[in-house]
Amino acid sequence: MSDAIAYATIRELGTRYRKRELSPVEVTRALLARIEKLDPALHAFVTLTPDRALADARAAEDALRRGDERPLLGIPVGHKDIYLTKGIRTTGGSALFADWVPDSDSTVGRRWQDAGTVLLGKLITHEFAFGLQFPGHRFQPARNPWNLEHIPGGSSSGSGAALTAGLLHGATGSDTGGSIRGPAAFCGITGLKPTYGRVSRAGVMTLSWTLDHTGPMARTVEDCAYLLQAIAGHDAADPASSTRPVDDYVGALDGSVRGLRIGVPRNYFFEDADTDNVRAFEDALGTLRKLGADVRDLQIPAFNLSRSFMLIMLSEAFAYHEQDLRLHPELYGEMLRERLLTGALVTGPEYVQAQRVRMQICADVAEVMKTVDVLATPTTPKTAPTFKTMYDPELAFPRTNMPPFNLTGQPTLALPCGLSASGLPLSLQLSGRAFEEATVLRLGHAYQRATDWHTRRPPV
Amino acid sequence: MPNDPKRPDLTMEELRARIAAAGITIPENRLAMVRKLLGEALAPLRSRDSRTIRPLEPAVTFDAAGPHVGTGQGGTGHGAGRE
Repeated sequence: MSDAIAYATIRELGTRYRKRELSPVEVTRALLARIEKLDPALHAFVTLTPDRALADARAAEDALRRGDERPLLGIPVGHKDIYLTKGIRTTGGSALFADWVPDSDSTVGRRWQDAGTVLLGKLITHEFAFGLQFPGHRFQPARNPWNLEHIPGGSSSGSGAALTAGLLHGATGSDTGGSIRGPAAFCGITGLKPTYGRVSRAGVMTLSWTLDHTGPMARTVEDCAYLLQAIAGHDAADPASSTRPVDDYVGALDGSVRGLRIGVPRNYFFEDADTDNVRAFEDALGTLRKLGADVRDLQIPAFNLSRSFMLIMLSEAFAYHEQDLRLHPELYGEMLRERLLTGALVTGPEYVQAQRVRMQICADVAEVMKTVDVLATPTTPKTAPTFKTMYDPELAFPRTNMPPFNLTGQPTLALPCGLSASGLPLSLQLSGRAFEEATVLRLGHAYQRATDWHTRRPPV
Repeated sequence: MPNDPKRPDLTMEELRARIAAAGITIPENRLAMVRKLLGEALAPLRSRDSRTIRPLEPAVTFDAAGPHVGTGQGGTGHGAGRE
């Protein structure tokens, strides 16, 4: 299979399908072969579904012959393995669910299926979307195709690794403290955490009810727009789901960004940042200025309180896992078990104070968003750490720039903006007003039309 | 009302007391990690006077109409699917 097909955009694949230059079955067979060749070193997939993929591809071919114009028809995808899949093993990356086969699909999975995608398989996740698998774990962690000694980010680790290695064209992720944007940043791909309530979480394993988001991961902003279009919208099965109308994300991509007001919060997001990350970010701001955006510095002091987000996440995660932790502690991975147990040490008043602080952050950011359209920051202050670093028994949880936007629920995009001196990807984070995904995607798309960082490939 | 000075960082003694109160067990070789994880999360709260936080409602809200309404799969997560 040529790299041109492995790394084609969703629009390019659709165009070639409709010109009969390529067929979904042909692409699916080629990707399955590529996975067989590359994945033994990457461990991106935890379960492959070749029979299902070929059946989906044949159905897509039939539909294409009938003139079906759905844009995701025949597009190969995978699901993070916390998305329930009917009749297909869903492990959560955990020994606790190593052989569990659900009898229902997640809403997102069903919507992509209805859109005509081809399901190649399930993608490894950090255990229960929170804990990197340590040596000896039931499941191997995914490795970063840019450098196998480094993690691909988490927790949507398989999604990030598979996309940057050209193993599929779209993947699901979930994002409680950065689990879509982190792998996007570390793998040099594009990921969107939509607004809280924009995309259903029904049928997706919970980490933290008030912080969990679901969303698409892809290689380009345009691909994210296509993937989001099919899954955004109300779902009665998710109590947090919004009834707001869904915008035309793909149609909005080509609008102008001239005059768009971009705020750069100069506090919090640059603490302990590496020179490469800051340099690439400042270069990206320069590009956005050339595109006509009005870029201005500002301060949002409330962001300095963001680390209290962990009190919320730990409390809610422990509440979710408490019974299994008591009954089957041995089935939880090393380190994850103690992280989850830490949630039992947060007092009731501390949880409430953390939620009050969260509301203060939301209120302060909402005031700022009256004066700017988008906030821009580096997605992470550093590049992907090594496995050796992550296996340090005293490492608690690396500081990142992503949790503030889980607290506020704003739509937030991570997209590549450079490479470090050591050849690892660097990432730009763009955050918009609630339910204004279209604005964030439009800005990101304009940036990708002006740069080529999203076309850089790892040495796989 | 007296001033509310900055409260101290989470000590190992306080951590052990919390573990005992919660009735859980955490291995000795993980205590440093847990102290760091919890201590960093508590730091923003301990650095300020809780009385100065805006009197806004907590983010967790109760809706008398849900979540038992319309949760076809029993809500989010894997719990329903395991039954």
